[in-house]
Amino acid sequence: MNENLQRIRNIGISAHIDSGKTTLTERILFYAQKIHAIHDVKGKDGVGATMDHMELERERGITITSASTYVEWKDKHLNVIDTPGHVDFTIEVERALRVLDGAILVLCSVAGVQSQSITVDRQMRRYNVPRIAFVNKCDRTGANPKRVTAALRDKLSHNAVLMQLPIGLEADFEGVIDLIEMKALYFRGDNGETVEEGPVPDHLMDEAEAVRAEMIDAVSMFSDELLEAALEDAATPEMIHEAVRNGVLSLELTPVFIGSAYKNKGVQPLLDAVNAYLPSPIDVPIEALDLDNDNAKVELTSDPEGQTVAYAFKLEDGRYGQLTFVRVYEGSLSKGDTVYRASSGKKVKIGRLVRIHANSMEDITKAEAGDIVGLFGIDCHSGETFIGDGPRLAMTSMHVPDAVISLSVNPVDSKAQANMSKALQRFTKEDPTFRVRLDPESGETVISGMGELHLDVYVERMKREYSAEVETGQPQVAYREAISRRGEFDYTHKKQTGGSGQYGRVIGYLEPLDEGDYDFVNEVKGGNIPTEFVPACDKGFRMAMEKGRMIGFPVVGVRAVLQDGNSHAVDSSDMAFLVAARSAFRQAYERAKPRILEPVMKVEVEGPSEFQGAIYRTLMQRRGNVLGSTEESGFARVEAEVPLAEMFGYSTDLRSETQGKAEFTMEFSKYGPAPAEVTEELRKKYSGQVAEEDD
Amino acid sequence: MSEVMLNLRRSPRKLLERDGHPGPGAGHLAVIMARAGVGKSAFLVDVGLDALLAGQKVLHISLDNTIDRVRAYYDDILGQMLREEKKLDLWSPIQLDVERRRHIHTYAGHTFTPDRLREGVQLLKDVMQFEPAVILVDEFGEEHLDAETVGAIKAIAKEAGAELWLACQVYREGPQAEDGHLPPPVDQFEEDVDLAFRLVSQDSKVRLHILKDREKMLDEDLHILFDPQSMLVTAGSL
Repeated sequence: MNENLQRIRNIGISAHIDSGKTTLTERILFYAQKIHAIHDVKGKDGVGATMDHMELERERGITITSASTYVEWKDKHLNVIDTPGHVDFTIEVERALRVLDGAILVLCSVAGVQSQSITVDRQMRRYNVPRIAFVNKCDRTGANPKRVTAALRDKLSHNAVLMQLPIGLEADFEGVIDLIEMKALYFRGDNGETVEEGPVPDHLMDEAEAVRAEMIDAVSMFSDELLEAALEDAATPEMIHEAVRNGVLSLELTPVFIGSAYKNKGVQPLLDAVNAYLPSPIDVPIEALDLDNDNAKVELTSDPEGQTVAYAFKLEDGRYGQLTFVRVYEGSLSKGDTVYRASSGKKVKIGRLVRIHANSMEDITKAEAGDIVGLFGIDCHSGETFIGDGPRLAMTSMHVPDAVISLSVNPVDSKAQANMSKALQRFTKEDPTFRVRLDPESGETVISGMGELHLDVYVERMKREYSAEVETGQPQVAYREAISRRGEFDYTHKKQTGGSGQYGRVIGYLEPLDEGDYDFVNEVKGGNIPTEFVPACDKGFRMAMEKGRMIGFPVVGVRAVLQDGNSHAVDSSDMAFLVAARSAFRQAYERAKPRILEPVMKVEVEGPSEFQGAIYRTLMQRRGNVLGSTEESGFARVEAEVPLAEMFGYSTDLRSETQGKAEFTMEFSKYGPAPAEVTEELRKKYSGQVAEEDD
Repeated sequence: MSEVMLNLRRSPRKLLERDGHPGPGAGHLAVIMARAGVGKSAFLVDVGLDALLAGQKVLHISLDNTIDRVRAYYDDILGQMLREEKKLDLWSPIQLDVERRRHIHTYAGHTFTPDRLREGVQLLKDVMQFEPAVILVDEFGEEHLDAETVGAIKAIAKEAGAELWLACQVYREGPQAEDGHLPPPVDQFEEDVDLAFRLVSQDSKVRLHILKDREKMLDEDLHILFDPQSMLVTAGSL
């Protein structure tokens, strides 16, 4: 079993947008002879990169879904997940990281550690993913892999160590020096497919020896054998490889490789490094939760003969129905097997099992622990765990951020209506950050997600993949309401309409809650409110919080304390106390000085230094709070917090203010209080809507 | 709220005012020296927070840290102050207020020059109407610690009407201070230094010494003690 598993590398390729990771993946496929021609990302040849298989991705030159593929490189089997770089799609990155054993962090040799590199790195840390770094684009003007390695240390606190040196840089970039073997590597042939070895060029020998000594010094921390050998100047390549692997597996070392995927240089040594240093499934501890034992952690063994545990991390809709990407953690999955959903215990039969290669696939009969494969004919949500006979084990659930933006979508005709429903059903299964609800007042369908581009892509996909023509409304920001001080309530609900009446009195207060959305505290003594009616009071408060009185958005951060009350032997009921609590909440709410909270985004803008002033201006104009700025070799990076409501159309403005030379990323940061004028405007708008509905 | 903020002030700057050693004043330079790891950066954050809580604007320059890390420093120390005063419920508005009056400027990859700083300060003034009353410069490397560079930075602070605080590392090894002079490497630009302090780690506390006050060279323990964990001035010093 071990031999097979030791051959497997489940790896991801993560980076800041436009660092060239899709190009790198394309080269990996080519050198591993999985494809026989190389295509550009932006499809100049009309074909587009193999991994960007969705039409939309090819047009925009970005990777939206993490396509999966596998290659054989030398004696190892590599399952490669290509992950998107745009922050709007980080759920894809997070899902991929959840199932990966290791990753390549791709960095641009000019721009270095960029905002998204930091986000991606944070995510990798969260899932304890060992990584190696690839400094790409060494052929570009301004390329400086040493600076990027220093930035990995300074900005990301990596113990980053150069394993190679460039032979020439920018337009003169010819190849790399392997500092372990102390030999030069050149990439010959039309597509760099022939790796030619040579001596280290004389003019680089001194530098290579110095950097090699630094490298050995750094990696010897991970091997006593190397440490001793290095003292006697007797370090062998095998000892260095072992020490680097130890360092990578312990997450304490990031070896740095260099090249230019676009110019076909440096990719094969990177693949050798994947084989040598990144872990196999048995090198990393994997834990599941025992659902029947209070979610106790259970370490999985990666034994193909063990209980089957497989995790569905991605869904796609294709010609043959739902394609479910799974990672098998323990046991095996065979065609015709019956497994169970860990969440419900429901039986599932494995119909068709495939290995995925971007948009093509190959049927297989069995997948074992460590494999990443596709299943057809299974209806499930992303995040489901499939298990064989035995304890009810589930892989730990993933961190799923709240949606921050909504958009109403209206089908143009009844055909579009049916198609839209189908599409939305699919998207919500695929993407846990994409949500759909029906607005009970307007009757409109409202979609919510992580940013403008996120929703934009789904609207496009509805049109293209499902022929669902829809009209969209104005994007709606997900505001919240909150109280800012304590507010007392003393409310009696009394109704006598013949027969048994309704009676319930509740006394207490609301106060702001530092952490969490809601807390209910029962301090009633002496049975003034009989115990059986207390849950109804809790429910009444919760119901009142669903729609705030200021602008109709949910209320958050409230502790409701029930101190006293009264009941009636005949007329009190759950309903009476529920209504009393709901009305009491409204009474106290006004006294608790409610305010509106708006989602605030952390925005990072990067551009040439001469546009720093323009960048500041664009942020200030949008109520941005500029936190700081960083200068780096002709580039400036400005960090700010900006209300989401002000970010619509920002990319257009930024482009026009900076001649298209600046770019930005944003992610949700926090909910912050809306200023008075915004509050006033929102209240007015809401009053207008309510009046209109009343008419 | 501003009264609450003023009451939170617990930095050496406030105490120095009380003890007759006011801050350096606009256009003047105060240097804080210490060996590695004693708390220079935290001291500067204390000074910055003190100014911010007093309603002033602060430009915090770091040559060694990311914006996130400097922010985290401020947040940690502010959180500690609020926790001790049992005012954590005021965290959001005070933090927002602090952030609005603070700008963090970092220079990655040895890109710092006085000219770049001058342009940055001018840009903040012209575009954001941000005119700092206090400029803090953290962790100057050896390459910048010369009379010319420090003099240029002091001139920028003077043009901006801001007081300037500079953190410098001093070493256990190598040449030590000569009589009547500040320790290396600060001795190279001691003419420009108006106030010089040194943090000394002693008996699990960090103590503040003053080494220069305007024209006078001194070596006095100011009896201001810091908690080495939080680098907040301890209760006994207040």
